Amino acid sequence: MASNYDYDLIVIGSGPGGYVAAIRAAQLNLKTALIEREHLGGVCLNWGCIPKKALIKSAEVLDTLQHAQDFGLTFDNLQVDYGAAVDRSLQIVNRQTKGVGFLMRKNNIDVIEGHARFTDAHTVQVGAGPLNPDGEPRGVTAASFVVATGARAKDLPGVEADGERILQYRHAIRLDEVPESLLVVGAGPIGMELSHIYATYGAQVTIVEMLDQALPLEDTDVAQEVERAFQKRGIKVLTSSRTEGFDIGERSVTVTVKNLNDGSDQKIEVEKALLAIGISPNTEDVGLDAAGAARNQEGYLEIDEYMRTSRKNIYAIGDCTGKMPLAHVASAQAIVAAEHAAGHAAAPIPAGRYIFMPRCTFCVPQVASLGMTEAQAEKAGYPVNVGKFPFMPNGSAQAQGVRGGFVKIIADQRYGEILGAHIVGPNATELLPELSLAQMMELTPTEIAHNVHAHPTLAEVVMEAAHGVEGQPIHM
Amino acid sequence: MPTPVKMPQLGETVFEGTVARWLKQPGETVERQEPLLDITTDKIDTEVPAPAAGVLLKVLAAEGTTVQVGSVIAYIGDQGEEKDIPESYQEAGETLENAKGPEAVSPQPAATAPTDAAPAPRPEGRAFVSPVVARISAEHNIDLADVQGSGHQGRVTKQDLLAFIDARNRQPPAAHLASGAAADEDEILQPLSNMRRMIAEHMSRSVRASPHVVTIFEADMTAVVRHRAARKAALAQKGIGLSFTPYFVAAVAAALRDNPTVNSRWTDAGLMLSQRIHVGVAAAVPDGLVVPVIRDADELNLLGLARAVNDLAERARRGELSPDEVRGGTFTVTNHGTNGSLAGTPIINQPQAAILGVGKISKRAVVNSGAKTDGAPADPLLPSPDDSISIRPMCYLSLAFDHRILDGLAADTFLSDVVNRLQNWAA
Repeated sequence: MASNYDYDLIVIGSGPGGYVAAIRAAQLNLKTALIEREHLGGVCLNWGCIPKKALIKSAEVLDTLQHAQDFGLTFDNLQVDYGAAVDRSLQIVNRQTKGVGFLMRKNNIDVIEGHARFTDAHTVQVGAGPLNPDGEPRGVTAASFVVATGARAKDLPGVEADGERILQYRHAIRLDEVPESLLVVGAGPIGMELSHIYATYGAQVTIVEMLDQALPLEDTDVAQEVERAFQKRGIKVLTSSRTEGFDIGERSVTVTVKNLNDGSDQKIEVEKALLAIGISPNTEDVGLDAAGAARNQEGYLEIDEYMRTSRKNIYAIGDCTGKMPLAHVASAQAIVAAEHAAGHAAAPIPAGRYIFMPRCTFCVPQVASLGMTEAQAEKAGYPVNVGKFPFMPNGSAQAQGVRGGFVKIIADQRYGEILGAHIVGPNATELLPELSLAQMMELTPTEIAHNVHAHPTLAEVVMEAAHGVEGQPIHM
Repeated sequence: MPTPVKMPQLGETVFEGTVARWLKQPGETVERQEPLLDITTDKIDTEVPAPAAGVLLKVLAAEGTTVQVGSVIAYIGDQGEEKDIPESYQEAGETLENAKGPEAVSPQPAATAPTDAAPAPRPEGRAFVSPVVARISAEHNIDLADVQGSGHQGRVTKQDLLAFIDARNRQPPAAHLASGAAADEDEILQPLSNMRRMIAEHMSRSVRASPHVVTIFEADMTAVVRHRAARKAALAQKGIGLSFTPYFVAAVAAALRDNPTVNSRWTDAGLMLSQRIHVGVAAAVPDGLVVPVIRDADELNLLGLARAVNDLAERARRGELSPDEVRGGTFTVTNHGTNGSLAGTPIINQPQAAILGVGKISKRAVVNSGAKTDGAPADPLLPSPDDSISIRPMCYLSLAFDHRILDGLAADTFLSDVVNRLQNWAA
């Protein structure tokens, strides 16, 4: 590649998009550098997916122990130490970030610490970052760049997340102890997952969502199932409601919540409030204008199906593109960007493909989905066949003590194409890949139904739902 | 020259065989038809005889190797002829020999020995066709070999297929043929005029868009012929030629008023009923035809229609029609009877609902059913002594209609309305 630059490719940001792009580029023999201003692994490894999954496992064990009697075990000295669970999550984080460092060394990728800003389309100034405040700015050049700067929690106007009374996810994932009561603003995946963790550890949790259902992007049936399960566990879910004011006191915060249906107000006093109303892209302080890479009104970088921005040697991937803010989407984009930059045959990701990428929410019951909701499919004008099968009759689900949840498959009546798949219930996220592979390879529910599923497994419910699309589930 | 030993075809549906055991080793002599090796297929196991006498010079397919039918698996020849074995086979032979043992059994084309044919540029094999693609291609009757795949290893995805169908629907059929336009030695290529291309495109599109159904009625033209005979001379003196066409246009225009769905066009939102009646009249011109339109035909009397028909036909022949005069028709009449045709099945002039074909008016014998005999409720279809035969100027009228818009009853009601108006033409 061009030898008059320091590198063939520089990746800015080391999250699950950035570090994957760097590895793939290095594998394709590009001289590659990775710039990170905080910790290797980005939000996913340090404050998001990974510590969250660890805490959710702790919560699951706790829940199992609290219901041990159902499984024939009794004991009377259960000690709950949330701080130890957080410590465990941080150990896992530590191992994972070290793993990323190892992968960088193994692939001969230079890791540069600091905050990168473009000065032109082929140069970045790497200056002091939060972790190296005294870092001397230096210019680095490359033929191509991958911008993977991610996103941060969106602010609620007039409210500052101080980490004491008002939290955002970075605080909430590392609390030393469980608050007695917690109000969560936003019933998206982050809000629902953290609500689940803290409610399991005994916090009195109230969720406030402006739209008319929890998990607003999910199928209505799924949202209703989750809302019912949360209410049953004592978590209050206030939909069609908006926070109007936060009155911060010494030991508590009083939140005014307006019911958007009847206009009534109520005041809810909690120990802490968590803001989980979405994300904003980290694209302001990167010098993108100097580079000539266009952003849309919300600040997201605009990309084509090969992840190229309006400046063709600059690629963008992950949360800063606003396509679908999920780690696995960023990783998929990363491989396309790196392969394209290396002149390798890359499989493009057209805009219409994102809706079929797996979406997941790791609360209990777990939610996993892809494609259109039933309402979206109907609105798009498809004649649909819907197969829906509950986990309840399933032997494995009963053995695990699971009662709720279902698998729902939405298919085009004419050609059988899978338009949407929605799972709510145990191991939902682990059951989805069969459906995402089927969707990608354009299989129909008929093939899923003909695929023999081991017994007794939860996966049998997917098979039953597929039978159901044709109107013939077996165990119903 | 060494004689190649090929994997035999052991049945119509057997495409490959596995070498089970060589009964002769390289260097050994064999007689013609002497058992040379055992092979197994998914259907049968059998011995393969030597195709020639000589020394087994080289074994290309080791035991356990699966190869395609027709592949060269060994060479037999005279001692010392090894050097005459084609070089490519010598290399391939080594690869195959090295691949001993059951792990060499493979359905992959990579493990097959080269065949007599020139090496294929890409691996032959069945491409993966997704069930969704299979269903769509079956419905649209598409050979997937014609579709360029964008998926992994050239897989045809749903998107590829839909794009192909879309392109096919938009492409004028002339362009399909253009690619195969190399003339044989006893053919001469006559280039297409613009009009020819337009007609081809329009006709093909119409047949694709509208499910055509044709219904045929017969009209007794006595009243019309009589009417025309009585006025023809007088009008000719005024310089107006009176053909039969204005009569058909007049009858059609009047019938369209009473059958508004025939005067409509199809849209996905619903039938667009035209509030005005603009009748197109097909006119033959050199190398094609045009369809000038008589606007508000229902508002013209016979004389007005005669003038309009003559004027448009004359200017059509001279190529003087303005584009607006061939647009906007809501119904079309084509009088192929002037060429001697008795009955035809015309193609709808899109986006109209139907087209009337008028056959040749000729004298035919017509049977008149006799009066009822007293008392008995006789069926008029039964032979009767009162039946008679008369000779009348008769005409077949065929209506081709879009079955999306009209059903048989509606179409027949309209056409019989036209027939009645012609048969009962007031003197």
